[in-house]
Amino acid sequence: MSIPLSQMATVASYVLKKRFTGVKRYPLVLMLEPLFRCSLACAGCGKVQYPPHILKKQLTPEECFAAVEECGAPMVSIPGGEPLLHPQIVEIVNGLVARKKYIYLCTNALELKKKLPEFSPSKYLTFSVHLDGQREHHDFSVCREGGYDIAVEGIQEAVRRGFRVTTNATFFDGTDPNSVRAFFDEVMGMGVEGVVLSPGYSYDKAPDQNRFMGRARVRRLFRAILSNRKPTWKFNMSPLFLEFLMGDRNYECTPWGMPAYNIFGWQKPCYLLQEGYAESYKELLATTNWDNYGVASGNPKCANCMVSCGYETTAVIDGFGSLKGFLAMVRGTFSSYRDPHAQKLLNDFASHQAAPHKNLVQIEQPERVPEEINA
Amino acid sequence: MTAEVQKYTLAQVEALELAPGTEHENLEGWVPTLATDDDLRQALEKALDYRGDVTLTLKSGERIEAFIFNCHTGATLAESWVQYYTPSAPEKRRVGYAQITRIEFSGKDRAAGKHWEDWVKKYNERKAAGETNIALAPEALE
Repeated sequence: MSIPLSQMATVASYVLKKRFTGVKRYPLVLMLEPLFRCSLACAGCGKVQYPPHILKKQLTPEECFAAVEECGAPMVSIPGGEPLLHPQIVEIVNGLVARKKYIYLCTNALELKKKLPEFSPSKYLTFSVHLDGQREHHDFSVCREGGYDIAVEGIQEAVRRGFRVTTNATFFDGTDPNSVRAFFDEVMGMGVEGVVLSPGYSYDKAPDQNRFMGRARVRRLFRAILSNRKPTWKFNMSPLFLEFLMGDRNYECTPWGMPAYNIFGWQKPCYLLQEGYAESYKELLATTNWDNYGVASGNPKCANCMVSCGYETTAVIDGFGSLKGFLAMVRGTFSSYRDPHAQKLLNDFASHQAAPHKNLVQIEQPERVPEEINA
Repeated sequence: MTAEVQKYTLAQVEALELAPGTEHENLEGWVPTLATDDDLRQALEKALDYRGDVTLTLKSGERIEAFIFNCHTGATLAESWVQYYTPSAPEKRRVGYAQITRIEFSGKDRAAGKHWEDWVKKYNERKAAGETNIALAPEALE
Protein backbone atom coordinates (compact mmCIF):
# COMPACT_ATOMS: atom_id res chain seq x y z
CA MET A 1 0.00 0.00 0.00
CA SER A 2 1.43 3.37 -1.00
CA ILE A 3 -0.73 5.67 1.10
CA PRO A 4 1.35 8.02 3.32
CA LEU A 5 1.36 7.38 7.06
CA SER A 6 -0.19 10.76 7.89
CA GLN A 7 -3.19 9.99 5.69
CA MET A 8 -3.55 6.49 7.15
CA ALA A 9 -3.35 7.90 10.68
CA THR A 10 -6.06 10.47 9.88
CA VAL A 11 -8.37 7.83 8.45
CA ALA A 12 -7.65 5.35 11.24
CA SER A 13 -8.37 7.86 13.99
CA TYR A 14 -11.56 8.96 12.18
CA VAL A 15 -12.83 5.37 11.88
CA LEU A 16 -11.95 4.54 15.49
CA LYS A 17 -13.62 7.72 16.76
CA LYS A 18 -16.82 6.84 14.93
CA ARG A 19 -16.64 3.29 16.26
CA PHE A 20 -16.09 4.33 19.87
CA THR A 21 -18.86 6.94 19.72
CA GLY A 22 -21.28 4.39 18.31
CA VAL A 23 -21.92 6.13 14.98
CA LYS A 24 -23.28 3.48 12.66
CA ARG A 25 -23.41 5.31 9.35
CA TYR A 26 -20.78 7.89 8.40
CA PRO A 27 -18.96 9.04 5.28
CA LEU A 28 -15.34 8.16 4.56
CA VAL A 29 -14.86 9.84 1.19
CA LEU A 30 -17.02 12.60 -0.28
CA MET A 31 -17.42 12.19 -4.02
CA LEU A 32 -17.61 15.85 -4.97
CA GLU A 33 -18.70 16.34 -8.58
CA PRO A 34 -18.32 20.06 -9.27
CA LEU A 35 -19.55 19.70 -12.86
CA PHE A 36 -20.53 17.05 -15.41
CA ARG A 37 -18.83 18.67 -18.40
CA CYS A 38 -15.98 16.59 -19.83
CA SER A 39 -13.33 16.96 -22.52
CA LEU A 40 -13.63 13.29 -23.47
CA ALA A 41 -16.64 11.47 -24.94
CA CYS A 42 -16.00 7.92 -23.73
CA ALA A 43 -18.49 5.46 -25.21
CA GLY A 44 -20.68 3.96 -22.54
CA CYS A 45 -19.98 6.62 -19.90
CA GLY A 46 -23.14 7.36 -17.93
CA LYS A 47 -21.78 10.36 -16.05
CA VAL A 48 -21.85 13.04 -18.73
CA GLN A 49 -24.95 12.33 -20.82
CA TYR A 50 -26.90 15.49 -20.06
CA PRO A 51 -28.46 18.35 -22.04
CA PRO A 52 -26.15 21.35 -22.59
CA HIS A 53 -27.83 23.52 -19.94
CA ILE A 54 -26.99 20.88 -17.32
CA LEU A 55 -23.44 20.48 -18.59
CA LYS A 56 -22.93 24.23 -18.27
CA LYS A 57 -23.89 24.25 -14.59
CA GLN A 58 -21.26 23.90 -11.89
CA LEU A 59 -20.96 24.05 -8.14
CA THR A 60 -19.52 27.21 -6.64
CA PRO A 61 -16.53 26.91 -4.29
CA GLU A 62 -18.86 27.89 -1.43
CA GLU A 63 -21.25 25.04 -2.26
CA CYS A 64 -18.31 22.63 -2.34
CA PHE A 65 -17.01 23.80 1.03
CA ALA A 66 -20.47 23.61 2.60
CA ALA A 67 -20.89 20.01 1.41
CA VAL A 68 -17.44 19.04 2.70
CA GLU A 69 -18.07 20.62 6.07
CA GLU A 70 -21.53 19.15 6.45
CA CYS A 71 -20.55 15.55 5.79
CA GLY A 72 -17.18 15.74 7.57
CA ALA A 73 -15.43 12.98 5.58
CA PRO A 74 -11.63 13.10 5.92
CA MET A 75 -11.10 12.44 2.21
CA VAL A 76 -12.62 14.13 -0.85
CA SER A 77 -12.55 12.66 -4.32
CA ILE A 78 -13.25 15.15 -7.09
CA PRO A 79 -14.49 13.31 -10.15
CA GLY A 80 -16.89 14.66 -12.74
CA GLY A 81 -17.00 15.42 -15.65
CA GLU A 82 -13.49 16.77 -15.90
CA PRO A 83 -12.74 18.86 -12.81
CA LEU A 84 -9.94 20.79 -14.51
CA LEU A 85 -12.58 22.38 -16.78
CA HIS A 86 -14.09 24.09 -13.73
CA PRO A 87 -12.91 27.73 -13.84
CA GLN A 88 -12.56 27.85 -10.03
CA ILE A 89 -11.06 24.43 -9.47
CA VAL A 90 -7.85 25.88 -8.01
CA GLU A 91 -9.88 27.86 -5.46
CA ILE A 92 -11.88 24.73 -4.61
CA VAL A 93 -8.74 22.63 -4.14
CA ASN A 94 -6.99 25.30 -2.08
CA GLY A 95 -10.07 25.63 0.14
CA LEU A 96 -10.13 21.88 0.76
CA VAL A 97 -6.39 21.76 1.45
CA ALA A 98 -6.90 24.58 3.98
CA ARG A 99 -9.54 22.36 5.63
CA LYS A 100 -6.95 19.54 5.78
CA LYS A 101 -8.95 17.20 3.58
CA TYR A 102 -7.09 14.54 1.60
CA ILE A 103 -8.13 15.25 -1.98
CA TYR A 104 -8.04 12.95 -5.00
CA LEU A 105 -8.58 15.14 -8.05
CA CYS A 106 -9.62 12.67 -10.76
CA THR A 107 -8.61 13.90 -14.18
CA ASN A 108 -8.22 12.64 -17.73
CA ALA A 109 -5.07 14.80 -17.70
CA LEU A 110 -5.71 16.38 -21.09
CA GLU A 111 -5.34 19.78 -19.40
CA LEU A 112 -3.10 18.72 -16.53
CA LYS A 113 0.27 19.91 -17.82
CA LYS A 114 -1.15 23.33 -18.66
CA LYS A 115 -2.93 23.72 -15.32
CA LEU A 116 -0.19 22.42 -13.01
CA PRO A 117 1.53 25.79 -12.42
CA GLU A 118 -1.69 27.03 -10.79
CA PHE A 119 -1.59 24.32 -8.09
CA SER A 120 0.81 23.91 -5.17
CA PRO A 121 2.13 20.50 -4.13
CA SER A 122 0.71 19.33 -0.82
CA LYS A 123 0.43 16.08 1.09
CA TYR A 124 -3.32 16.69 0.94
CA LEU A 125 -3.53 16.87 -2.87
CA THR A 126 -3.24 13.89 -5.22
CA PHE A 127 -3.85 13.97 -8.95
CA SER A 128 -5.58 10.71 -9.80
CA VAL A 129 -5.08 10.32 -13.53
CA HIS A 130 -7.49 8.21 -15.53
CA LEU A 131 -5.45 5.60 -17.43
CA ASP A 132 -7.33 2.47 -18.43
CA GLY A 133 -4.31 0.41 -19.41
CA GLN A 134 -1.49 0.44 -21.92
CA ARG A 135 -1.51 2.99 -24.76
CA GLU A 136 -3.72 1.09 -27.20
CA HIS A 137 -6.18 -0.03 -24.51
CA HIS A 138 -6.48 3.40 -22.93
CA ASP A 139 -6.91 5.25 -26.22
CA PHE A 140 -9.60 2.84 -27.32
CA SER A 141 -11.28 2.96 -23.92
CA VAL A 142 -11.52 6.77 -23.86
CA CYS A 143 -12.28 6.98 -27.59
CA ARG A 144 -9.34 9.20 -28.35
CA GLU A 145 -6.14 8.26 -30.13
CA GLY A 146 -3.23 10.05 -28.53
CA GLY A 147 -5.01 10.38 -25.18
CA TYR A 148 -2.53 8.11 -23.42
CA ASP A 149 0.50 10.13 -24.49
CA ILE A 150 -1.05 13.41 -23.34
CA ALA A 151 -1.99 11.89 -19.97
CA VAL A 152 1.50 10.44 -19.48
CA GLU A 153 3.04 13.82 -20.25
CA GLY A 154 0.81 15.33 -17.55
CA ILE A 155 1.75 12.61 -15.08
CA GLN A 156 5.45 13.08 -15.68
CA GLU A 157 5.23 16.84 -15.26
CA ALA A 158 3.18 16.48 -12.07
CA VAL A 159 5.71 14.00 -10.64
CA ARG A 160 8.55 16.33 -11.64
CA ARG A 161 6.88 19.22 -9.82
CA GLY A 162 6.55 17.16 -6.62
CA PHE A 163 2.82 16.41 -6.66
CA ARG A 164 1.34 13.20 -5.38
CA VAL A 165 0.10 11.27 -8.43
CA THR A 166 -1.81 8.03 -8.80
CA THR A 167 -3.43 6.44 -11.82
CA ASN A 168 -6.96 5.09 -11.81
CA ALA A 169 -8.23 2.40 -14.16
CA THR A 170 -11.53 0.67 -14.78
CA PHE A 171 -11.48 -2.78 -16.34
CA PHE A 172 -14.30 -4.23 -18.40
CA ASP A 173 -15.14 -7.58 -19.92
CA GLY A 174 -12.40 -8.62 -22.34
CA THR A 175 -9.53 -7.14 -20.34
CA ASP A 176 -6.20 -8.91 -20.92
CA PRO A 177 -4.65 -9.53 -17.46
CA ASN A 178 -1.12 -9.76 -18.89
CA SER A 179 -1.51 -6.34 -20.45
CA VAL A 180 -2.76 -4.94 -17.14
CA ARG A 181 0.31 -6.30 -15.37
CA ALA A 182 2.59 -4.76 -18.01
CA PHE A 183 0.64 -1.52 -17.50
CA PHE A 184 1.46 -1.64 -13.77
CA ASP A 185 5.16 -1.84 -14.69
CA GLU A 186 4.79 1.16 -17.00
CA VAL A 187 3.01 3.45 -14.55
CA MET A 188 5.23 2.58 -11.62
CA GLY A 189 8.16 3.46 -13.89
CA MET A 190 6.65 6.94 -14.30
CA GLY A 191 7.15 7.55 -10.59
CA VAL A 192 3.53 7.53 -9.50
CA GLU A 193 2.70 6.88 -5.86
CA GLY A 194 0.40 3.98 -6.65
CA VAL A 195 -2.32 2.51 -8.80
CA VAL A 196 -6.07 2.62 -8.23
CA LEU A 197 -8.25 0.13 -10.04
CA SER A 198 -11.84 -1.00 -10.22
CA PRO A 199 -14.02 -3.39 -12.17
CA GLY A 200 -16.64 -1.82 -14.40
CA TYR A 201 -20.21 -1.93 -13.19
CA SER A 202 -23.41 -1.84 -15.25
CA TYR A 203 -24.93 1.06 -13.34
CA ASP A 204 -28.36 1.98 -14.51
CA LYS A 205 -27.40 5.24 -16.22
CA ALA A 206 -24.63 3.81 -18.39
CA PRO A 207 -25.86 3.72 -22.01
CA ASP A 208 -23.88 0.53 -22.60
CA GLN A 209 -25.19 -2.35 -20.51
CA ASN A 210 -23.60 -5.44 -22.01
CA ARG A 211 -19.86 -5.11 -21.42
CA PHE A 212 -19.96 -5.60 -17.69
CA MET A 213 -18.61 -8.63 -15.87
CA GLY A 214 -20.60 -10.48 -13.26
CA ARG A 215 -19.02 -11.11 -9.87
CA ALA A 216 -17.65 -14.54 -10.75
CA ARG A 217 -15.81 -13.16 -13.76
CA VAL A 218 -14.56 -10.09 -11.85
CA ARG A 219 -12.99 -12.34 -9.23
CA ARG A 220 -11.22 -14.51 -11.78
CA LEU A 221 -9.90 -11.50 -13.67
CA PHE A 222 -8.58 -9.77 -10.56
CA ARG A 223 -7.10 -12.99 -9.21
CA ALA A 224 -5.12 -13.27 -12.43
CA ILE A 225 -4.08 -9.62 -12.31
CA LEU A 226 -3.28 -9.24 -8.63
CA SER A 227 -1.69 -12.57 -7.67
CA ASN A 228 2.11 -12.96 -7.89
CA ARG A 229 2.68 -9.23 -7.51
CA LYS A 230 5.97 -7.59 -8.27
CA PRO A 231 7.56 -5.73 -5.34
CA THR A 232 7.64 -2.55 -7.42
CA TRP A 233 3.85 -2.39 -7.71
CA LYS A 234 2.11 -0.10 -5.23
CA PHE A 235 -1.63 0.26 -4.84
CA ASN A 236 -3.27 3.36 -3.44
CA MET A 237 -6.10 1.27 -2.07
CA SER A 238 -6.96 -0.89 0.89
CA PRO A 239 -5.24 -4.31 0.56
CA LEU A 240 -8.41 -5.84 1.93
CA PHE A 241 -10.45 -4.34 -0.91
CA LEU A 242 -8.01 -5.89 -3.39
CA GLU A 243 -8.47 -9.24 -1.63
CA PHE A 244 -12.22 -8.73 -2.01
CA LEU A 245 -11.77 -8.24 -5.76
CA MET A 246 -9.62 -11.40 -5.90
CA GLY A 247 -12.32 -13.42 -4.17
CA ASP A 248 -10.55 -13.88 -0.85
CA ARG A 249 -13.09 -11.87 1.14
CA ASN A 250 -16.81 -11.35 1.20
CA TYR A 251 -17.95 -7.84 1.99
CA GLU A 252 -21.28 -6.05 2.04
CA CYS A 253 -21.74 -2.67 0.43
CA THR A 254 -21.48 0.52 2.49
CA PRO A 255 -23.39 2.84 0.14
CA TRP A 256 -23.39 5.80 2.54
CA GLY A 257 -19.59 5.63 2.91
CA MET A 258 -18.74 7.50 -0.29
CA PRO A 259 -21.69 9.85 -0.82
CA ALA A 260 -21.89 11.93 -3.99
CA TYR A 261 -22.70 15.63 -4.05
CA ASN A 262 -23.27 17.53 -7.28
CA ILE A 263 -25.43 20.26 -8.86
CA PHE A 264 -28.56 18.21 -8.13
CA GLY A 265 -27.81 17.71 -4.42
CA TRP A 266 -26.84 14.62 -2.38
CA GLN A 267 -27.32 11.62 -4.65
CA LYS A 268 -29.46 8.67 -3.51
CA PRO A 269 -28.33 6.07 -2.69
CA CYS A 270 -24.72 6.15 -3.90
CA TYR A 271 -22.21 7.50 -6.39
CA LEU A 272 -23.37 5.29 -9.25
CA LEU A 273 -27.08 4.72 -8.73
CA GLN A 274 -29.16 7.85 -9.23
CA GLU A 275 -32.57 7.44 -7.67
CA GLY A 276 -33.17 10.96 -6.42
CA TYR A 277 -31.52 13.66 -4.36
CA ALA A 278 -31.51 15.02 -0.83
CA GLU A 279 -30.78 18.58 0.21
CA SER A 280 -28.31 17.56 2.92
CA TYR A 281 -26.17 14.58 3.92
CA LYS A 282 -28.29 14.28 7.04
CA GLU A 283 -31.43 14.05 4.90
CA LEU A 284 -29.71 11.52 2.61
CA LEU A 285 -28.98 9.28 5.61
CA ALA A 286 -32.46 9.70 7.07
CA THR A 287 -34.57 9.28 3.94
CA THR A 288 -32.79 6.51 2.02
CA ASN A 289 -34.01 2.96 2.56
CA TRP A 290 -30.56 1.41 2.81
CA ASP A 291 -31.93 -2.13 3.05
CA ASN A 292 -32.78 -1.88 -0.66
CA TYR A 293 -29.13 -1.67 -1.72
CA GLY A 294 -26.01 -3.78 -1.73
CA VAL A 295 -25.56 -7.33 -2.87
CA ALA A 296 -27.40 -8.83 0.11
CA SER A 297 -30.53 -6.87 -0.78
CA GLY A 298 -31.00 -8.92 -3.94
CA ASN A 299 -31.55 -5.66 -5.85
CA PRO A 300 -30.69 -6.50 -9.48
CA LYS A 301 -29.21 -3.02 -9.88
CA CYS A 302 -26.55 -3.96 -7.31
CA ALA A 303 -26.01 -7.51 -8.58
CA ASN A 304 -22.63 -7.11 -10.28
CA CYS A 305 -21.32 -4.16 -8.30
CA MET A 306 -17.91 -4.64 -6.71
CA VAL A 307 -16.72 -1.07 -7.13
CA SER A 308 -14.73 0.87 -4.59
CA CYS A 309 -17.43 3.46 -3.84
CA GLY A 310 -19.49 0.72 -2.21
CA TYR A 311 -17.01 -1.86 -1.03
CA GLU A 312 -13.72 -0.12 -0.31
CA THR A 313 -15.33 1.74 2.57
CA THR A 314 -16.27 -1.62 4.07
CA ALA A 315 -12.70 -2.81 3.62
CA VAL A 316 -11.23 0.34 5.18
CA ILE A 317 -13.58 0.15 8.16
CA ASP A 318 -12.67 -3.53 8.52
CA GLY A 319 -8.95 -2.73 8.35
CA PHE A 320 -8.94 0.13 10.84
CA GLY A 321 -11.87 -0.96 12.97
CA SER A 322 -10.49 -4.19 14.47
CA LEU A 323 -7.15 -5.74 15.39
CA LYS A 324 -7.86 -8.72 13.15
CA GLY A 325 -8.60 -6.44 10.23
CA PHE A 326 -5.54 -4.31 10.90
CA LEU A 327 -3.25 -7.34 10.99
CA ALA A 328 -4.78 -8.60 7.74
CA MET A 329 -4.13 -5.20 6.19
CA VAL A 330 -0.49 -5.22 7.30
CA ARG A 331 -0.09 -8.78 6.00
CA GLY A 332 -1.68 -7.78 2.68
CA THR A 333 0.58 -4.76 2.32
CA PHE A 334 3.67 -6.93 2.31
CA SER A 335 2.35 -10.04 0.56
CA SER A 336 3.04 -10.88 -3.08
CA TYR A 337 -0.03 -13.17 -3.11
CA ARG A 338 1.95 -15.99 -4.61
CA ASP A 339 -0.37 -18.30 -6.53
CA PRO A 340 1.09 -20.80 -9.05
CA HIS A 341 -2.38 -21.50 -10.40
CA ALA A 342 -2.93 -17.83 -11.28
CA GLN A 343 0.52 -17.76 -12.93
CA LYS A 344 -0.37 -20.77 -15.05
CA LEU A 345 -3.58 -19.08 -16.10
CA LEU A 346 -1.69 -15.96 -17.13
CA ASN A 347 0.68 -18.08 -19.18
CA ASP A 348 -2.24 -19.89 -20.79
CA PHE A 349 -3.86 -16.58 -21.59
CA ALA A 350 -0.67 -15.27 -23.20
CA SER A 351 -0.33 -18.37 -25.37
CA HIS A 352 -3.87 -17.92 -26.67
CA GLN A 353 -3.24 -14.31 -27.79
CA ALA A 354 -6.64 -13.09 -28.89
CA ALA A 355 -7.33 -10.03 -31.02
CA PRO A 356 -7.01 -6.75 -29.11
CA HIS A 357 -10.19 -5.67 -27.30
CA LYS A 358 -11.92 -8.96 -28.01
CA ASN A 359 -9.98 -11.18 -25.65
CA LEU A 360 -12.24 -12.59 -22.99
CA VAL A 361 -10.62 -13.78 -19.82
CA GLN A 362 -11.14 -17.49 -19.43
CA ILE A 363 -9.85 -18.41 -16.03
CA GLU A 364 -10.94 -21.24 -13.79
CA GLN A 365 -12.48 -20.90 -10.34
CA PRO A 366 -10.05 -19.89 -7.59
CA GLU A 367 -8.75 -22.56 -5.24
CA ARG A 368 -8.58 -20.33 -2.18
CA VAL A 369 -11.70 -20.20 -0.04
CA PRO A 370 -13.11 -16.71 0.61
CA GLU A 371 -12.81 -15.53 4.18
CA GLU A 372 -16.15 -14.51 5.68
CA ILE A 373 -15.99 -11.01 7.07
CA ASN A 374 -18.73 -9.10 8.78
CA ALA A 375 -17.53 -5.54 8.75
CA MET B 1 -37.55 -0.25 -5.99
CA THR B 2 -41.04 -1.66 -6.42
CA ALA B 3 -42.20 -4.97 -4.97
CA GLU B 4 -42.51 -6.47 -8.46
CA VAL B 5 -38.77 -6.30 -9.13
CA GLN B 6 -37.30 -9.78 -9.14
CA LYS B 7 -34.57 -10.08 -6.56
CA TYR B 8 -31.43 -12.19 -6.77
CA THR B 9 -30.29 -14.66 -4.18
CA LEU B 10 -26.70 -14.35 -2.97
CA ALA B 11 -25.77 -17.59 -4.75
CA GLN B 12 -27.15 -16.25 -8.03
CA VAL B 13 -25.24 -13.01 -7.65
CA GLU B 14 -21.95 -14.69 -6.85
CA ALA B 15 -22.24 -16.98 -9.87
CA LEU B 16 -22.96 -14.20 -12.38
CA GLU B 17 -20.61 -14.34 -15.35
CA LEU B 18 -22.08 -11.36 -17.14
CA ALA B 19 -24.33 -8.69 -15.67
CA PRO B 20 -27.74 -8.57 -17.33
CA GLY B 21 -27.82 -4.77 -17.19
CA THR B 22 -30.82 -2.52 -17.72
CA GLU B 23 -32.89 -2.29 -20.90
CA HIS B 24 -33.09 1.36 -21.85
CA GLU B 25 -36.27 2.32 -23.70
CA ASN B 26 -36.25 4.64 -26.65
CA LEU B 27 -38.36 7.45 -25.19
CA GLU B 28 -37.40 10.41 -27.38
CA GLY B 29 -40.57 11.97 -28.79
CA TRP B 30 -42.88 9.90 -26.59
CA VAL B 31 -46.04 11.50 -25.23
CA PRO B 32 -47.57 9.13 -22.68
CA THR B 33 -51.31 8.90 -22.16
CA LEU B 34 -52.06 10.10 -18.64
CA ALA B 35 -55.47 8.55 -17.99
CA THR B 36 -54.85 7.56 -14.38
CA ASP B 37 -52.71 8.58 -11.42
CA ASP B 38 -50.56 5.50 -12.01
CA ASP B 39 -49.97 6.53 -15.63
CA LEU B 40 -48.67 9.87 -14.39
CA ARG B 41 -46.47 8.30 -11.72
CA GLN B 42 -44.96 5.83 -14.19
CA ALA B 43 -44.35 8.50 -16.83
CA LEU B 44 -42.57 10.70 -14.28
CA GLU B 45 -40.42 7.77 -13.18
CA LYS B 46 -39.36 7.32 -16.80
CA ALA B 47 -38.76 11.08 -17.06
CA LEU B 48 -36.45 10.81 -14.04
CA ASP B 49 -34.38 8.20 -15.90
CA TYR B 50 -34.47 10.06 -19.21
CA ARG B 51 -31.21 11.73 -20.28
CA GLY B 52 -32.88 14.66 -22.00
CA ASP B 53 -35.35 17.44 -21.35
CA VAL B 54 -39.09 16.89 -21.16
CA THR B 55 -41.87 19.43 -21.62
CA LEU B 56 -44.45 19.56 -18.82
CA THR B 57 -47.85 21.15 -19.38
CA LEU B 58 -49.53 22.31 -16.17
CA LYS B 59 -53.20 22.71 -15.34
CA SER B 60 -52.65 26.47 -15.58
CA GLY B 61 -51.68 26.00 -19.24
CA GLU B 62 -48.04 26.88 -18.55
CA ARG B 63 -45.49 24.79 -20.47
CA ILE B 64 -42.15 24.09 -18.81
CA GLU B 65 -39.07 22.70 -20.51
CA ALA B 66 -37.40 20.72 -17.73
CA PHE B 67 -34.59 18.33 -16.93
CA ILE B 68 -36.13 16.24 -14.15
CA PHE B 69 -33.61 14.92 -11.65
CA ASN B 70 -35.64 14.14 -8.56
CA CYS B 71 -39.06 12.68 -7.79
CA HIS B 72 -40.61 12.68 -4.33
CA THR B 73 -43.46 10.20 -4.32
CA GLY B 74 -45.99 10.54 -1.53
CA ALA B 75 -49.18 8.60 -0.90
CA THR B 76 -51.23 10.92 -3.10
CA LEU B 77 -50.47 13.11 -6.11
CA ALA B 78 -50.94 16.14 -3.87
CA GLU B 79 -48.05 14.91 -1.69
CA SER B 80 -45.76 14.15 -4.65
CA TRP B 81 -43.48 16.48 -6.59
CA VAL B 82 -40.68 16.54 -9.14
CA GLN B 83 -37.58 18.69 -9.00
CA TYR B 84 -36.05 20.05 -12.19
CA TYR B 85 -33.77 22.54 -13.89
CA THR B 86 -34.92 24.61 -16.85
CA PRO B 87 -32.53 25.86 -19.55
CA SER B 88 -33.32 29.47 -18.67
CA ALA B 89 -33.07 29.63 -14.85
CA PRO B 90 -30.11 28.94 -12.59
CA GLU B 91 -32.02 27.57 -9.59
CA LYS B 92 -33.67 24.21 -8.88
CA ARG B 93 -37.44 24.28 -9.14
CA ARG B 94 -40.22 21.90 -8.16
CA VAL B 95 -43.79 21.24 -9.23
CA GLY B 96 -46.46 18.98 -7.75
CA TYR B 97 -47.60 15.87 -9.60
CA ALA B 98 -51.18 17.10 -9.26
CA GLN B 99 -50.39 20.16 -11.39
CA ILE B 100 -49.11 18.18 -14.38
CA THR B 101 -51.50 17.33 -17.22
CA ARG B 102 -49.13 16.37 -20.04
CA ILE B 103 -45.53 15.16 -20.44
CA GLU B 104 -43.62 15.19 -23.72
CA PHE B 105 -40.21 13.59 -24.01
CA SER B 106 -39.31 16.51 -26.23
CA GLY B 107 -35.55 16.88 -25.77
CA LYS B 108 -32.84 14.85 -27.45
CA ASP B 109 -31.92 11.64 -25.61
CA ARG B 110 -28.28 12.39 -24.76
CA ALA B 111 -27.47 8.74 -24.08
CA ALA B 112 -28.65 7.51 -27.48
CA GLY B 113 -25.93 6.31 -29.85
CA LYS B 114 -23.32 6.28 -27.07
CA HIS B 115 -22.83 2.52 -26.96
CA TRP B 116 -19.47 0.84 -27.16
CA GLU B 117 -20.51 -0.88 -30.39
CA ASP B 118 -21.31 2.54 -31.92
CA TRP B 119 -17.76 3.67 -31.17
CA VAL B 120 -16.16 0.47 -32.52
CA LYS B 121 -18.19 0.82 -35.75
CA LYS B 122 -17.24 4.50 -36.16
CA TYR B 123 -13.61 3.76 -35.40
CA ASN B 124 -13.38 0.98 -37.98
CA GLU B 125 -15.06 3.11 -40.64
CA ARG B 126 -12.78 6.08 -40.04
CA LYS B 127 -9.70 3.88 -39.85
CA ALA B 128 -10.63 2.22 -43.15
CA ALA B 129 -11.00 5.68 -44.68
CA GLY B 130 -7.37 6.39 -43.75
CA GLU B 131 -8.12 8.84 -40.93
CA THR B 132 -5.58 9.29 -38.15
CA ASN B 133 -5.93 10.69 -34.61
CA ILE B 134 -9.43 9.26 -34.46
CA ALA B 135 -11.47 10.49 -31.52
CA LEU B 136 -15.00 11.13 -30.36
CA ALA B 137 -15.54 14.73 -29.33
CA PRO B 138 -17.99 15.92 -26.68
CA GLU B 139 -21.12 17.52 -28.11
CA ALA B 140 -21.11 21.31 -28.42
CA LEU B 141 -22.77 23.10 -25.51
CA GLU B 142 -24.54 25.70 -27.63
